[in-house]
Amino acid sequence: MAKANKFLRNFCIIAHIDHGKSTIADRIMELTGQVSRRDMEEQLLDSMDIERERGITIKLTPVRMFYTALDGNEYEFNLIDTPGHVDFTYEVSRSLAACEGALVVVDATQGVEAQTLANVYLALENNLELVPVINKIDLQSARVEETKQEIEEVIGLDAAEAPCVSAKEGTNIRDILEAVVKLVPPPEGDPEAPLKALIFDSYYDNYKGVILFVRIKDGTVKVGDTIKTFLSERKYDVTEVGAFAPRLQPKSVLAAGEVGYIAASIKSIEDVEVGDTVTCVSRPAAEPLPGYKKVQPVVFCGIYPLDGSKFLDLKEAILKLKLNDAALTFEPDNSVALGFGFRCGFLGLLHMEIVQERIEREFNLDIITTAPSVSYLVHKTDGECFYVDNPSHLPPPTDIEYMEEPIVKAEVYTPPEYVGAIMELCQDKRGVFKDMTYLDARRVRLEYRLPLNEIVYDFFDELKSRTKGYASFDYELAGYEKSKLVKLDILLNGEACDALSTIVHEDHAYKRGRMLAENLKEAIPRQLFEIPIQAAVGGKIIARETVKAVRKDVLAKCYGGDITRKKKLLEKQKEGKKRMRQVGMVEVPSEVFMQILKTNKDK
Amino acid sequence: MAGIYLHIPFCKHKCTYCDFCSFPNRMDVAEAYMACLIKEIEMRGKELEGRTFDTVYFGGGTPSVVDPKYIYAAMKKVEDCFSLSRRPEITIEINPGTVSEQKIALYKRAGINRFSIGLQTAIDGQLEELGRIHTVRDYLYCTSLLKGENFSADVMLGIKNQTKEDVRKTIEIAAGSGAKHISMYALTPEDGTPIYTDYLNGELPDGDEVAELYEYGRSLLAEKGFMRYEVSNFCKKGFESRHNLNYWKRGEYVGLGVSASSFFAGRRLLNTLDLDEYMKCILSGFYPVIDSEEVGKRDAKFEFLMLGLRTVYGVSAAEYQKAFGTDWREDFAAAYQKTKHYLLEEGDVTRIKDEYLYVQNAILSEYAE
Repeated sequence: MAKANKFLRNFCIIAHIDHGKSTIADRIMELTGQVSRRDMEEQLLDSMDIERERGITIKLTPVRMFYTALDGNEYEFNLIDTPGHVDFTYEVSRSLAACEGALVVVDATQGVEAQTLANVYLALENNLELVPVINKIDLQSARVEETKQEIEEVIGLDAAEAPCVSAKEGTNIRDILEAVVKLVPPPEGDPEAPLKALIFDSYYDNYKGVILFVRIKDGTVKVGDTIKTFLSERKYDVTEVGAFAPRLQPKSVLAAGEVGYIAASIKSIEDVEVGDTVTCVSRPAAEPLPGYKKVQPVVFCGIYPLDGSKFLDLKEAILKLKLNDAALTFEPDNSVALGFGFRCGFLGLLHMEIVQERIEREFNLDIITTAPSVSYLVHKTDGECFYVDNPSHLPPPTDIEYMEEPIVKAEVYTPPEYVGAIMELCQDKRGVFKDMTYLDARRVRLEYRLPLNEIVYDFFDELKSRTKGYASFDYELAGYEKSKLVKLDILLNGEACDALSTIVHEDHAYKRGRMLAENLKEAIPRQLFEIPIQAAVGGKIIARETVKAVRKDVLAKCYGGDITRKKKLLEKQKEGKKRMRQVGMVEVPSEVFMQILKTNKDK
Repeated sequence: MAGIYLHIPFCKHKCTYCDFCSFPNRMDVAEAYMACLIKEIEMRGKELEGRTFDTVYFGGGTPSVVDPKYIYAAMKKVEDCFSLSRRPEITIEINPGTVSEQKIALYKRAGINRFSIGLQTAIDGQLEELGRIHTVRDYLYCTSLLKGENFSADVMLGIKNQTKEDVRKTIEIAAGSGAKHISMYALTPEDGTPIYTDYLNGELPDGDEVAELYEYGRSLLAEKGFMRYEVSNFCKKGFESRHNLNYWKRGEYVGLGVSASSFFAGRRLLNTLDLDEYMKCILSGFYPVIDSEEVGKRDAKFEFLMLGLRTVYGVSAAEYQKAFGTDWREDFAAAYQKTKHYLLEEGDVTRIKDEYLYVQNAILSEYAE
């Protein structure tokens, strides 16, 4: 059997957010001469505006480099930079499948954090060789020896030889590269075997069509080959293959073990699915690679175009985003209040926020989003059982035997003075206390079981405000639990507004209904008639507010000189109405649908 | 029908709510200005030869602050240069603090047959607060000079601390003084005026309170035989302001003087707001127009509805058909469907229901582009 290139190393970096992952990637690229100092920008691989603004990595980004090691050989490196936030674990797991090794970066001032551990487990599942790296040794508060010990105890990795670096100052970066050469094995795979290439990411290019990011497991692929995927029957002629430099750099061929891209004028976005396997039509592989575990979305919301006529543009935008964000799920949805749109599923709140922002920025679309919700397990009296994430799809209460809601295991890290405030908050949010540990004099770790629907509601905002921003928070799904849940409806002028319905715990229904009605009263402008706002559970009204009818809305004078001015004023008013949604006879500002669930801090 | 408007941009003292084009410290150029105004009358008169005008209106500022001989001269020039109908309505706005028997006499000799008096309120403290230069007594003196004449009084709503009682007193004095017409309008706090500060600080009555005062005033006026014929205008039978009705019927008008606007031959024009620039232009033989806009068909149709619906006469489908050759309900089908509930339809005529006349922006904005 032919062997893949033994001077090849495919690896990624896993780390907790803020532990310096992207900076290490920058330094490695600098050292290998991949980019000159002159072209170097901070966080080079974070090419999206949102990533740079927020200082986080959202997308995995591959880059190829050449490094001449101390043994005198030149090695080819493929580094895949990955996100650190829990919401983007799926991105991480995909990059892992394309690698043989991973750098585990730990901040010498912070120690091992929950997220690092989660990703380490993922890497171990994928049989990756792990290389611990201790970063930020330049800081006063760096505790290098303790950190090494923590790595050995918590992760179970030998950290005696771990490179100790400062990515910020560029200290000891070469140690990392040597460790990669020494510890990460070269890829396996047979260049002579039929082509098997794992699609680990993709995006849409207006000129070249869909660009597939692939890891070649077996075989080779070159320009002119006819390829197909396993999920689609369609055949494509390869127009370009290449490596990531980090911009696309064409090559003549991609062979087993290599990471690169394939362009084949793929115009139909639906044909491509991340995790699928590419093979050659002339000599196809018998079966596909294992691919990825399908991810289950956790948070859901409706996304609608602000201008109803832009539905097809929104569809196009979501399809293109999906290519590049495999964790995003969606299905068409139709709301009485908001018209045609999509019900989208996300891996978490940050993921949701990022997707909403990318739609608006990258596709220049104004959208309306509904309040986030989670997926409930509904058990009907007739024994039927299914998931519901859209409150308006909930069957009538009489048909429901009981419901279950998703629960998370939540960890809150905080300075000790906020422990009381956090406990109070978790109590309010139906949390069940599990554990409390003093990590050191300045840091406490609290563990709670919390219903996810309380977290998507306003937990983050509340946590931030009650701890002056000092507490950090992480969670992972921990199954479903039976719960007394009810659907809270909002009636405007006597008509139920589907986009404002929510599912809440029975004990919170009254309070939430009150608050919703009060917030709506502030948010809905006065109109020509009195508008009753009612909150109802199972047909019973539990709260009511009234928006009084407007009584004066006229220009006092309209003589010769006022006509043009008055006309402009009315045109402006009409323009304002375009941002409103019609619910029965009532005009509702579109921001309301997203914002209304936020608690009113003044109350 | 068509109207002529002449703007007299002088006053003794600027009222705290005033954002009109008016210059309290420029009385020194009044004579020069009036000479320019007369020149502009000649220029426009020649251009608009062949049109007949039905009304003339001296507005301001305070037209009664300048020497009445200038008003007389301007009026004579209007008669020379424009063709007026047989019994034109000729109005002048007067401030009760600036009148005398001689002035009124000269106005009448000039042919003026209608007077619009700025009373605003019959509470002296409020007059002072508004920066008015007159008292209630001055108003009564003024109206005594106008006994038997056709005159109108302005009543203002939404003054700081104004009560229903204040409104009652004001309306009683206005009606009792023999006015045949009363304009009752809400104070509009404009950015840049002194009163805007009061507004920002929440010291003026809010919309609901003004609506309350308005409703009260309206019923009181009705009791006294003053019927509402437009949002802010009330009169005894047959005493509507013909000049203003022309605006609401989208009739043509020519505006002369600084800041005056005109509408004729399908265009809206606006004269400069700068007094010196105005005079320079006229003296050089140019029109002082700074804005000239042709009104497109859709705009014209919208204006027709927007203006007509201000009045209790509403809009006539036949007149609309005559003007544009189409049915307004079809042209504005979506808006019509949406607002039908607020409209009263009597055969050919459609108007806003009485109870919605004061909230008409919400209705009219549906018809805007």
